[in-house]
Amino acid sequence: MQGVAKTRDPRSVDAGKDGAAARAMASISPVAPLPLPLTVPGTARLILGHPAAISVLSVACFLLLWWAVALWTASPIQLPTPPAVFLALVDLAQSGELFDNTWISFQRLLISMGVATVLAVPLGFAMGLSPRVNSYIDPLMEMLRPISGIAWIPLALFIFGIGGTLPVFIMAYVAFFPILLNTVAGVRGTDRTLIAAARTMGVPRSRIIRLVVLPGAVPTIMVGVRIALASAWAAIIAAELIGSPSGLGFSIEWYRELLMSANVFAYIVVVSAVGYACDLLLRLLRARLTPWVRGTQLS
Amino acid sequence: MSGTNIQSAELRREPRWAAPARALALPIALLAVWQVWAMTQPDVMRAPSPAHVVTTFMQLTASGDLPGALLQSLGRVVAGFAVALLLGIVLGVAMGTNRTVRHLVEPIVEGFRPVAPMAILPIAILWLGTGTSASVSIVAYAAFFPLLLNTVHGVIQVDRKLLQASRTMGVSDLRILRKVVLPAAMPSILLGARLAMGVAWTAIIAAELAVGAKAGGGGSGGIGAMMFVFYAYSIDLNGIVVCMIVVGLVALAIDRVFRLAERRLVPWKR
Repeated sequence: MQGVAKTRDPRSVDAGKDGAAARAMASISPVAPLPLPLTVPGTARLILGHPAAISVLSVACFLLLWWAVALWTASPIQLPTPPAVFLALVDLAQSGELFDNTWISFQRLLISMGVATVLAVPLGFAMGLSPRVNSYIDPLMEMLRPISGIAWIPLALFIFGIGGTLPVFIMAYVAFFPILLNTVAGVRGTDRTLIAAARTMGVPRSRIIRLVVLPGAVPTIMVGVRIALASAWAAIIAAELIGSPSGLGFSIEWYRELLMSANVFAYIVVVSAVGYACDLLLRLLRARLTPWVRGTQLS
Repeated sequence: MSGTNIQSAELRREPRWAAPARALALPIALLAVWQVWAMTQPDVMRAPSPAHVVTTFMQLTASGDLPGALLQSLGRVVAGFAVALLLGIVLGVAMGTNRTVRHLVEPIVEGFRPVAPMAILPIAILWLGTGTSASVSIVAYAAFFPLLLNTVHGVIQVDRKLLQASRTMGVSDLRILRKVVLPAAMPSILLGARLAMGVAWTAIIAAELAVGAKAGGGGSGGIGAMMFVFYAYSIDLNGIVVCMIVVGLVALAIDRVFRLAERRLVPWKR
């Protein structure tokens, strides 16, 4: 597959230059199934053929389109222009408010991810290793799992009140299930031959778990953590928007009520950037922790 | 697979009722604890208990409030999902078959993907007000990404030999698309549809909750708004728990239906 891609388009090797987004997509798409029928003349083709150039072009097109629509609607409340949003971003950053709110939300994300991991990984190991524990706990988990974190918000408002605990609870709940399921799957997926070999050599059970099962399960757990992070980051906005007096979600809604749309858009840009940065960080961490896994990067 | 078989003697022969009994042990124990806890609470708090939840469920169903709200929410989900399905598949096929389109659209899609549907909600309220169209657009936004990404993935993975074979035989591009690409991508698209529907159901609850919370008095209806009314106006914890359970059951039902559809429509998978 890879070889075909290279002979077809030598520039596809450079796919990584314009960031990991394109890299992730390019790595799952080494082959263009139906090549472009239209032919573009030499120089233009060289520029257009470069993925980085196309990315820049597409973002530029998007911004120009946005600008045109904003000018056309001529309503800064409905749709502020890109420069207005940029200025709002600079203003918010200069006043320090942007960093305060981002830091608060990020802290909540870290705490809840920590709580979810600490709860889910040991439980996942217990469920994965022991069919008996699994048969007790799995049904309860399957009953709770379909109830989305969002649906807990009204009840959690009663229990925790408006404040910092509510978003952390909601996010930890949301993050818990992907990590649990992936830990169970990872533990179960351990190569039985390795376990049998270790047992034959008289390795004690605890050491088998630590030295054979754990390393085997880490890649799958990391996938779970990535999914968990994405869903937690999606849930924080809802949780803060409804039930918290601080953070990114709160700020978005706050400025909407004040009809300061440029600030709303600026905060949305920040939400996107932080979410993307966290995912990138996790991918780097995964490359560090499990260098032997060359995944599809699809998940 | 029943687990890494370190404790090999664990699953011995046991009576037929043992497995369901074990499955229900923990939930029943928790319900019992909850009920006992509720009975020790002073009634002023109207502490929710399993018994009260059941009676509240009966009342809400009999009065038609719950089915009405549920139908309203489901209608919005289906509408938003339909929009996302159309956009996701069309754009996904375009991105999957054409490298230039893919490179053009990808950065924008990747930029929007980490933006939670709920972050879009303030904009949707600004543009569309606090009615149904705002909720529907949130659902469409939420469902769009899983559909798009899975369609792209499915189309890209189509067996090249099949494409070359049909091209050699002079089949037109449109027919290749219909007869080769789409069927081959179908498992992936269906997976995307299932994920998208799950996300959509979560998104509608969030949207209705937030619209109820921020637009002052859940005028827009739906089960999420109903929950918010229970929280903010009638202060009925039992009602909230009923809604939570119903939300969970619907999510479960959606998942099952889509899995069934997957098995029916692409029987050659698995």
